[in-house]
Amino acid sequence: MAKTSKRTGAGGKKKKKSGPSAKAMKQQAPKSNPFESIWSRRKFDILGKKRKGEERRIGLARSRAIDKRKKTLLKEYEQSGKASVFVDKRIGEQNDELGEFDKAILRSQRAHQVKLNKKSKYNLSDGEEDDFEFEGVGALSERDDFEDEMLPDEDDKDGAETSNTNKESATLQQKILGRGEREVEENKHKTKKEVMEEIILKSKFFKAQKAKDKEENELLMEELDKNFLSVVQSKALLSLTEPGKMNALKALSNKTIPNEHNTKDELSTIQTLETSNQEKPDAYDKLVKVMSLEMRARPSDRTKTPEEIAQEEREQLERLEEERQKRMLATDDPSDEENEDVDKSSSQRPRSISGDDLGDSFLADNEPRTKKGWVDEILERRDADDNESKKDDSSEDFESAEDGSDEEESDEDNDEREEDLSMKDWEQSDDDNLETDLGAEEEEEIEDNDEDDDANENKMGRRESEKAQDINAVESSKRRKDSSDSKKLNADGKLPSAQLELPYLIEAPKSLEELCALLDSCSNADIILIINRIRASNAIRLAAENRKKMQVFYGVLLQYFAVLANKKPLNIELLDLLVKPLIEISTEIPYFAAICARQRILRTRTQLCEIIKNPETSCWPSSKTLFLLRLWSLIFPCSDFRHAVMTPAILLMSEYLMRCPIVLGRDIAVGSFLCSMILSVAKQSQKFCPEAIIFLRMMIMAAKDGKQMSNQDSQFCHHMELKALRPLLCLRECVNEFAPLNFLTVMDLPEDSSFFCSDNFKASVLMTVIETLRGYVNAYGQLSSFPEIFLPISTLLLEVALQENLPGALQEMCKDVAQLIKTRVDEQHILRRPLQMRKQKPVPIKMLTPKFEENYVKGRDYDPDRERVEMKKLKKRLKEERKGAVRELRKDNQFLFEVKAKDKAMMEAEKAENAVKVREFLQEQEHAFRSGQLGKGRKRRR
Amino acid sequence: MSPKYPKSGLKRKRIEKKHSKATAEKDLKNGEDGDVTQKPILPHEPNVKARAIFVLENASLTKGHVRKEWKILNSEEDAGFLLKQKKDLNDFCPSVVYEALRAIFDSKLNKAGMVGAVYVKTDEGLLIEFNPNVRIPRSCKRFYGVMLDLLQKKCIRTEDTNEVLIRVIEGPVTRHLPVNSHVVGLSYNSEKLVDLDDYFGAVGDDSDIVFVVGAMVRGKINMEYADDVISVSGYPLRAYVCAGIICEALEHKWMIF
Repeated sequence: MAKTSKRTGAGGKKKKKSGPSAKAMKQQAPKSNPFESIWSRRKFDILGKKRKGEERRIGLARSRAIDKRKKTLLKEYEQSGKASVFVDKRIGEQNDELGEFDKAILRSQRAHQVKLNKKSKYNLSDGEEDDFEFEGVGALSERDDFEDEMLPDEDDKDGAETSNTNKESATLQQKILGRGEREVEENKHKTKKEVMEEIILKSKFFKAQKAKDKEENELLMEELDKNFLSVVQSKALLSLTEPGKMNALKALSNKTIPNEHNTKDELSTIQTLETSNQEKPDAYDKLVKVMSLEMRARPSDRTKTPEEIAQEEREQLERLEEERQKRMLATDDPSDEENEDVDKSSSQRPRSISGDDLGDSFLADNEPRTKKGWVDEILERRDADDNESKKDDSSEDFESAEDGSDEEESDEDNDEREEDLSMKDWEQSDDDNLETDLGAEEEEEIEDNDEDDDANENKMGRRESEKAQDINAVESSKRRKDSSDSKKLNADGKLPSAQLELPYLIEAPKSLEELCALLDSCSNADIILIINRIRASNAIRLAAENRKKMQVFYGVLLQYFAVLANKKPLNIELLDLLVKPLIEISTEIPYFAAICARQRILRTRTQLCEIIKNPETSCWPSSKTLFLLRLWSLIFPCSDFRHAVMTPAILLMSEYLMRCPIVLGRDIAVGSFLCSMILSVAKQSQKFCPEAIIFLRMMIMAAKDGKQMSNQDSQFCHHMELKALRPLLCLRECVNEFAPLNFLTVMDLPEDSSFFCSDNFKASVLMTVIETLRGYVNAYGQLSSFPEIFLPISTLLLEVALQENLPGALQEMCKDVAQLIKTRVDEQHILRRPLQMRKQKPVPIKMLTPKFEENYVKGRDYDPDRERVEMKKLKKRLKEERKGAVRELRKDNQFLFEVKAKDKAMMEAEKAENAVKVREFLQEQEHAFRSGQLGKGRKRRR
Repeated sequence: MSPKYPKSGLKRKRIEKKHSKATAEKDLKNGEDGDVTQKPILPHEPNVKARAIFVLENASLTKGHVRKEWKILNSEEDAGFLLKQKKDLNDFCPSVVYEALRAIFDSKLNKAGMVGAVYVKTDEGLLIEFNPNVRIPRSCKRFYGVMLDLLQKKCIRTEDTNEVLIRVIEGPVTRHLPVNSHVVGLSYNSEKLVDLDDYFGAVGDDSDIVFVVGAMVRGKINMEYADDVISVSGYPLRAYVCAGIICEALEHKWMIF
């Protein structure tokens, strides 16, 4: 109660004090300056940028600045002329933030503090204050009672203090204050003990709360369970849920309530129902099982290297050969009477030739061979001839090799040695034969190879031995063939009526004779088979020395090809078939193949040079040369700019076309064939071959009537090495039908055949010529000199087409090609530009790249020099500051000037007023004086 | 190539003669096909004083402060930002200006030096002058960089020599257009649909031609200063297509190949 009264008292006091301050505030009511309300504005508003400067009000700022000056500068100015200063040191007067009321509070607090000082205890009060105090406090009626109660205690304690109202009041005040303080303290600081107690209490309370919650939860759960069970048992759910899940539910319910037997019957019935459902396997389960049973992916074998493939092929052949041998034995029984010869008895001995059992073959060789095939006989005869001559130079290297390697076998084949050696000799000699055939270069090459092989000398020895085995195999095959030969001869020597079995493993033949012997009287397919087997069994990848073998074999095969091509009844099928293995082998040994080809070309060229000296003989290439040239154009790339084989080949062909005089009809056919071949070679690379085109042009000219030979044409003829151009192809009579020429048949015909003079032949040749020409036109269409090359030909063609004897189809063809040439020429002419004096492209104006900063921000300095930037910044700031200071000073001056001017004006006004007053007075005086002191004088006296 | 003059002259004459002979022969042979071969196009400097001047109106090159970064506002990149500011996305397509400028500056017309100047007037009323020698950056982003730079610095210079390439100038455009130039406004709304080739034939070569093209996505442009308002197509075209058509027609007219 007392407190409240006190507070109300205090409140009353406050109200009293607040009175004047409120008044002051009211007095400060803002008078609005219209300039102050104007905001500064930006010209553009920028998206995304906060408008910072817009809070500024220039008018307001100015008035503020003036206010500030009034407070500071004006004060100083006013003080400037004075010696002493009045300083207001009242409490709170310096602080502008405080209102009048707060200031008053502060002051009163201070007063109390001073009063409560120990020193002030003994101060004598001067009544006024106490009265004031009492007035303030003593508005309450109960105060006396309260004092009464309290007083005696205090008196007892103090002892010295007696009934002094002042004192009492002071102590009372103290008490009240003290109490108040204590209360505050209680609120603020709790003792540690209290705090701890509180904490303990709180934790206890929380624990209890938790326990209670838990209990409640459990209760709820139980209730829920009960409810659920009742629902489960009520069948209503059964219809809604899946049977499988239901079962689990049942189990659960059963577990929880085992004593519920009354419902069990029902449950069991349901369960039986559901188990039937359950036994059907789930799709997912099935999938899982399948997956577990599925085979896992296993790593496959790595891809085989070419060497391995070759090895496999060889092994396959070996296996087949073995089987064949076995079968041979089997067929050797008497049932096969027809095939049986006398030598079968010798071949009855099992003979295996697999690379693994080295000794076996030698063993087989060891056995006396009473009967040999004719090949062997030939070989032996050769041996006898060559032994003396060749032994010294050829047998050296491999003899040493054999000595090194054959140590383990030496005991076995000592007796066999001689024979072996002789065989080797024969091989070597054969090689030599071939090498002499191919020229010195090859020999060197092969020797180089030999040197390379020296490193694996040991291998060599084994190889030799293997060779021997293979030879055996060949022999056996020969024998076999021999046996069947008689039969084959019966069947016209071409196709054996019975299935001829070829050996699977064939040693590469070393000479043409050998090859011929091997291939003789075989069908085309068999020949290819044999060649393929030779290649497979001597694959280069298999062994290093096979390279040499294959090289020799390649030379032989090429020779065979050439020989075949020269035969008069041409076996074109076989030639065709031979091309494939030849190409394949030459890709395996490209260097050797190129050397072979070059040598042959060189020789042909020298032959040509020889023949051409003799004007009687025809120097056009034989069919052999033609076929070889064609083969090389297939083997070697024709599109190369410069090729070791193709370039000389093309040159050779061109030379033929240029230098060989056209005498017979056959020459024309050969020449046109050469032209088409050059076309096929040059088509890809678009190499220009003038000889072919000149030849074609000549042919067309020859088709013209010989009478009107223009000047240009005759001039043109001098380019060629032929004196007079006969109208060889000029058609005498009208030809109704003509077939495309078969070159092979033409080649087969004798030179002086009447066919060459027939108009039929002429027409067909003309057709091929024109067709070839069309090919050239297509190939050279892009040449920039195309019009110059082909335009005369096109005119020639048109002239030829005008002849009446020419069949319609040919005429059409002529016109067609002429038209084609014309269109091509037109194309070229469109592309041609007239010659310009100073040709230059138009000069475009200069384009200049603008310089700019990426993400340029205004105000940021893009100077790379850090220090300079810093300096710049500082300077800028200095300038700014200086300007600001100058501005301030100027404004100060202005302000002071204004103040001074105001003062001055005031003074002036005062002065003027004074002057007026004085003047008035004087005037009045004067007036009074003049008027005899009436009126005013009296007043003055009064 | 320093033989005596008369000789070389003779030679040339002979060659010409031959050439004429050859062509005559060809003419005889080829008939109507010869026409194509006869008339090879000879590039030559257009002998015209007049220049073409382009004014791209209503270009949207607005500077903005997006995510603490100054940039030219672009509806493609800053769509979210612009939508937050409640702006119409169609008003912020600087790519239109870029394409149009590319079309003009990369045209043969400009390479031949027949473009006098290009002015771009932004929708905020800023007028920018482009020197015809400017190589407009090859990517949109770099172009925006240049424009941002320009908007803050008011001029862009070359990289090496400090020649001014692009600068902000005081409006209106008419102050900068040459005297008695023929100002042509292009507008989809114009009733006067013309074929530019014919139109140029009527205009003549004496005076410069100014083309006013709107570089905005949609809307109209103020063509008060245009002498003539035409439309080159029945379809509403983007600025660069329009500029391309103009350039092509002028190239054809002035034989720039």
